[in-house]
Amino acid sequence: MNPARAYLRSRRGRPMTWSDRYAMAFGAGLAVVVVGQWAATAVRGLAIGVDAAGLGPVLALAAVSYAGYLAVARALGPVVLPAADAAWLVLSPLPRRSVLGRSAAVLLVLALGGGAALGLAVLSAFGAPDGLILRLAAALVLGAGATVGGMAVAVLAQASHSWDVLLQVVIAGTVLAAVLVAVLGGGAGRQALLAVAGAPAAAAVAAAGPVAAVACALAHRAWTTLDRIPARAILGSSARTGRVASAAVTMDPGALTWAVEDEHWRGRVLGSRPWPRLAGRKALALAWQDWRRIGRRPGRLAVLAGAAVLPAVAAQAAGGMSAMPAGVLLAGTLAAAAMCTTGARRDAADPALARLLAVDRRALAAARALLPALLAAAWSALALAGLAAAGALSGGAWWLLGPATAPACAAASLRMAGRPPVDHSLPVIDTPVGALPAGPLIWAVTGADLALLGCLPALVALTAPASPPGSSLIVQALTAAAVLTAFLLRQGRSGRESAT
Amino acid sequence: MSEVIVAARGVEVTLGGVPVLRNAGFTAAAGEIVAVLGENGAGKSTLLRCLAGLHPPLRGRIDVLGGPPVDAAVFWRRVALVGDEPAWYPGLSVQEHLELAGVVHPGGRLTVGAALEVFALDGRADMSPLTLSTGQRQRLSLAMALLRPSRLLLLDEPERGLDTAFRARLAEILTGYADEGGTVVMATHDLTLATATRARLVTLEAAS
Repeated sequence: MNPARAYLRSRRGRPMTWSDRYAMAFGAGLAVVVVGQWAATAVRGLAIGVDAAGLGPVLALAAVSYAGYLAVARALGPVVLPAADAAWLVLSPLPRRSVLGRSAAVLLVLALGGGAALGLAVLSAFGAPDGLILRLAAALVLGAGATVGGMAVAVLAQASHSWDVLLQVVIAGTVLAAVLVAVLGGGAGRQALLAVAGAPAAAAVAAAGPVAAVACALAHRAWTTLDRIPARAILGSSARTGRVASAAVTMDPGALTWAVEDEHWRGRVLGSRPWPRLAGRKALALAWQDWRRIGRRPGRLAVLAGAAVLPAVAAQAAGGMSAMPAGVLLAGTLAAAAMCTTGARRDAADPALARLLAVDRRALAAARALLPALLAAAWSALALAGLAAAGALSGGAWWLLGPATAPACAAASLRMAGRPPVDHSLPVIDTPVGALPAGPLIWAVTGADLALLGCLPALVALTAPASPPGSSLIVQALTAAAVLTAFLLRQGRSGRESAT
Repeated sequence: MSEVIVAARGVEVTLGGVPVLRNAGFTAAAGEIVAVLGENGAGKSTLLRCLAGLHPPLRGRIDVLGGPPVDAAVFWRRVALVGDEPAWYPGLSVQEHLELAGVVHPGGRLTVGAALEVFALDGRADMSPLTLSTGQRQRLSLAMALLRPSRLLLLDEPERGLDTAFRARLAEILTGYADEGGTVVMATHDLTLATATRARLVTLEAAS
């Protein structure tokens, strides 16, 4: 142990008592029992044949999860230190590997745990009609190899730009593979996936060897690279993770998204363009800020467009149109609308610029509703077209429900943008499903409530898609327009209330 | 006699039961600069928030431009407030923030190009405000407030983060604003800045 850590440990409060050791051992034992029970059930369930219908969606979901794991590792560091260690130990003459060693060990444990879960998930899709132990062992090694290797590449990317480029390629490739599996897994690609599922257990074992070897080599290289990770990378990632931890502790996701947003723009040269001259349209001129921002992040639009396949994937996994794919559709539409409400969020969090620009609140809300409505309409129409193409919806122009729900989702996204931080002083409510803290609950449903209310006719039509959506379409359009109108009227009133 | 723009009489404010302002008051006429001085905790920023309608006083009366201040667009079209650093709109450059202020407030006092030059930001026009130094961000805040037309300028420690040379230039800018008929009320610790703007000094005593 490096001398600084030994000193810090010696000064850290009272030494561990037998009571502490008992509590720790009891907790660990309890965790083993709970996880072991779950794992045993999961393993017993593996001894079945392949589920041909669910194979594509489960594999796509596993691939998306793996891409998300790599993306989070890259975004957070992955090698990070607590704020005090980052401030005092990184900029000291101590060998950097000894300072970062504990973080690396934590990453290895996380990667091994994630790998086991990934391997089990993939094996549950392929099934293990024979050679369960061999297949299980191979799946665990392949999963751990993928996650440990991926984490090692993320550590290397922290120290080197070329590894960072490789990591980004791996993430993009994994997402692309997920989309292909999701789209083709139900049709042309199903035979190929079934052929992989039907491969003998020995083939899986044979594949596990090289994967494990490559993962070990990458992990070794990452370990030796710890000494060369630049201090600025450690300090930057530690600050980011500190903000994430702070947002998690206070349960304030808004703070987290601002940290990510500001991090993206800091240090960029943007290339100023003239502001459009919208004579007499001050609200539209101010709302244009969101149009310009979204235009400067085309990658987000591409990811959003790609995500339009998710409701179809959910419908395939659920075996048809039901509440789950409809919920995914609504959540996705709301997410698409909420993606372009940063101006409203900024002004709600800090109204200093809004006061300086002095635009009427209701007119501004109406102008700011245009872009979320447009994006929600486009995404929802695309997703509904995907559902129709996948065979989950038939007999009519279902995609028209997308534009019909868009005004309600725009109102909901603006309501979300204007909500205050979580109020942790509110009481905990006893409910039939357990105790729920009122503050986070109110925060979570603010905005979603309007979306649910405004999209109710569409949700009813989608969960029982027996007939073409003709009459539902009109009811939905009227409901969504009413929700948006009521929201805008309320905006004007709340503006006057705050003015007095 | 010049039109009275700000009239505050007997203003009292308590925060958490602790008196922050006690019997504070002053008037400011059109074309006048008033510098509110006082030690830390004397209530300078609180008085400015009261003048901006952001904090109702416990007692006393405040009139701004002929009526009580209100936190509404109609009030902010005539009053500009520069306090703590604002949260910048993500994805916009320095120049685009200024353009936005110019488009939303037609008939501004300065063009965007002139504002960039006067506030020494022309070398940073294409950068995100988050990339600027503390003093440069303060200059951008001041530029956005002074680019647009207004009748009253409320400034809370406008010298924050500014170098000595730019403080002298700021004094000229504020004097020019007042010469055009605008009124400035600024809370400041910089007596040199207050003197350079020929401001009338109002000193607040700590209330507790």
